Amino acid sequence: MARTKGYPEALEKKLHDQRYYREDSNPEFTTKVKGISRTIAHMCYQCGTCTGSCPSAPRSTYRIRNFMRRAVLGLENEALTDPDLWLCTTCYSCTDRCPRDIAPTDVIMAMRNLAFKRDIIPVNFLKTVTAIYSSGHGVPNNDVNRAAREKLGLTRDPPTTHMYPEYLPAIRKIIDHYKLKANADRIIKEREG
Amino acid sequence: MGNVVVVGAGIAGIQAALDIAAHGIPVHLIEREPTIGGHMAMLDKTFPTNDCSMCILSPKMVDVARHPDITIHTCSEVEKIAGGIGHFRVTIKKHPRYIDESTCTGCGDCILVCPVEVYNHFDAGIGVRKAIYKPHSQAVPDIVIKDPDHCIECGLCYDVCGPGSVKREDSEQELVLDAASIVLSTGYSVFDAQKKPQFGHLSLPDVVTSLELERMINASGPTGGKIRRMSTGKTPESIVFIQCVGSRDMPLGRPYCSCVCCMQAIKNAILIKEKNPAMDVTICYMDIRSYGKGYEEYYERAKALGIRFLRGMPSDILADKNGLILQVENSETSEILMMHPELVVLSVGMGPAESLPDLARRFGIALEETGFVRTMHDALDTTSTLRPGIYVAGTAVAPKDIPDSVASGESAAMRAFRDAFRLRSA
Ligand code: SF4
Ligand code: SF4
Repeated sequence: MARTKGYPEALEKKLHDQRYYREDSNPEFTTKVKGISRTIAHMCYQCGTCTGSCPSAPRSTYRIRNFMRRAVLGLENEALTDPDLWLCTTCYSCTDRCPRDIAPTDVIMAMRNLAFKRDIIPVNFLKTVTAIYSSGHGVPNNDVNRAAREKLGLTRDPPTTHMYPEYLPAIRKIIDHYKLKANADRIIKEREG
Repeated sequence: MGNVVVVGAGIAGIQAALDIAAHGIPVHLIEREPTIGGHMAMLDKTFPTNDCSMCILSPKMVDVARHPDITIHTCSEVEKIAGGIGHFRVTIKKHPRYIDESTCTGCGDCILVCPVEVYNHFDAGIGVRKAIYKPHSQAVPDIVIKDPDHCIECGLCYDVCGPGSVKREDSEQELVLDAASIVLSTGYSVFDAQKKPQFGHLSLPDVVTSLELERMINASGPTGGKIRRMSTGKTPESIVFIQCVGSRDMPLGRPYCSCVCCMQAIKNAILIKEKNPAMDVTICYMDIRSYGKGYEEYYERAKALGIRFLRGMPSDILADKNGLILQVENSETSEILMMHPELVVLSVGMGPAESLPDLARRFGIALEETGFVRTMHDALDTTSTLRPGIYVAGTAVAPKDIPDSVASGESAAMRAFRDAFRLRSA
């Protein structure tokens, strides 16, 4: 490549890369997110409608639009190490409202998947895994709920694994197939001793 | 004889008719509405010059009315087209006006006595008219029309009309016109904001569309140029414009930019701010597209006036007992804002005219996926349709502002003239 206007070499390299020139950008990340999420994050034009609809945004520093930008630019580390990644409630408001027909929620889910592969995950999410493994429920039934259900004329336990514990082994089999429980146990032990 | 038929008498059609007739070619100008002028007649001011829209349009409308080579057919629609380039036969259906067009002087005595008031289509639904009416005071032709759907047959207008022009009975008429070529300038439809229910248009009273705002700030409009909250009738202290409503929207199948809404919002924001310096005026946008001659300077002028340009979009408009609530992220700073404007203006986009699919079928021309008219080439031939001898002008092709609509009217006129001229010299 011919040198132009005497730019320093580093800058010239940046300018030559038409895609994006941040050192920490990883184009493969964009592809991976797209593959897992099955949505067209690269079509995002950063209008911010998603944040406008997000119930998490006014209560935190979490900005879904910002994560969409990171998906487009391949900012893998920045996206996966940001603790805000775990503040999405998966309400799907943004997916309903995005004028580009993108599913930002699914982009977040894809990033969480990729983060977990690097053991980046808050402990409370792992405790949910443990809860599902032992009871089939992320939030198991408790006595307060049981009393409330009885008052409403419902059975004390819902017709799930709570009522039919014989289906629990099948659920455990799925979780074990993906080594989810083993990994969760390992990480919890590392963090909490 | 080489005539030209121009279908649609908005600014593009008016310009085309004037240009063709200037060459001595007879023009038939067909308009569905009772007056010519189109959407431009509804607007308050025009950007970037802040000219009063009617003040620059009205002389052209009068030129059309006075031109010996132009025949205006209002309340008329094209029924069918036969023949081909050089020898089209265009069948026109003329809807009854219940007025003798040749004797009505447009004095308006009948309007004064008519006891019926209905919503005025011309005022975008925020003003009223009578059952016998002129759409607006500068209507061309300057005569009234009686609306049989709302007339209660009280008989007052028959008695008051000096020349006896009000008809009790009237019927549809058919007219066949010869034409060497045809210009199609049927304009656009305004996006129906109710298709974005999250913005609450027509359910939240203080949410209006840009067209309703135009009528409100127009000195000859229903509020006499005063900007009002629909809920209280008071002047709002704060206004938020929301851009791109019904434009650049994939789920709605409207992926294109409507070209005028940025500048229209900036224009209206400037007009409001100049009259009410204390009012808090914000424009929520994703990109400001001020691409034309003098437009960027206009945008800068708006910023200097203190109009706030907020890069971020609300996803919906909520309301509680204290008023409207908009959650917006300033995408330049990531700050979340909870806004409580007293009036929200939805900058609604342009779509193809509702009648266009049907017209295209009658005309035998092709439409694009977006519903606008397909032309021979998107860059090099933007006025020829796929059928020889039929040309297209203005917003029937794609969203356009007034300067571009005028230019495309001129260019379609040149093409239509060529066909008519060839026939005459042959
Ligand atoms: S709403 Fe869609 S296009 Fe807009 S910033 Fe969010 S993801 Fe991007
Ligand atoms: S799905 Fe997540 S990111 Fe989207 S609006 Fe809901 S909480 Fe926010």
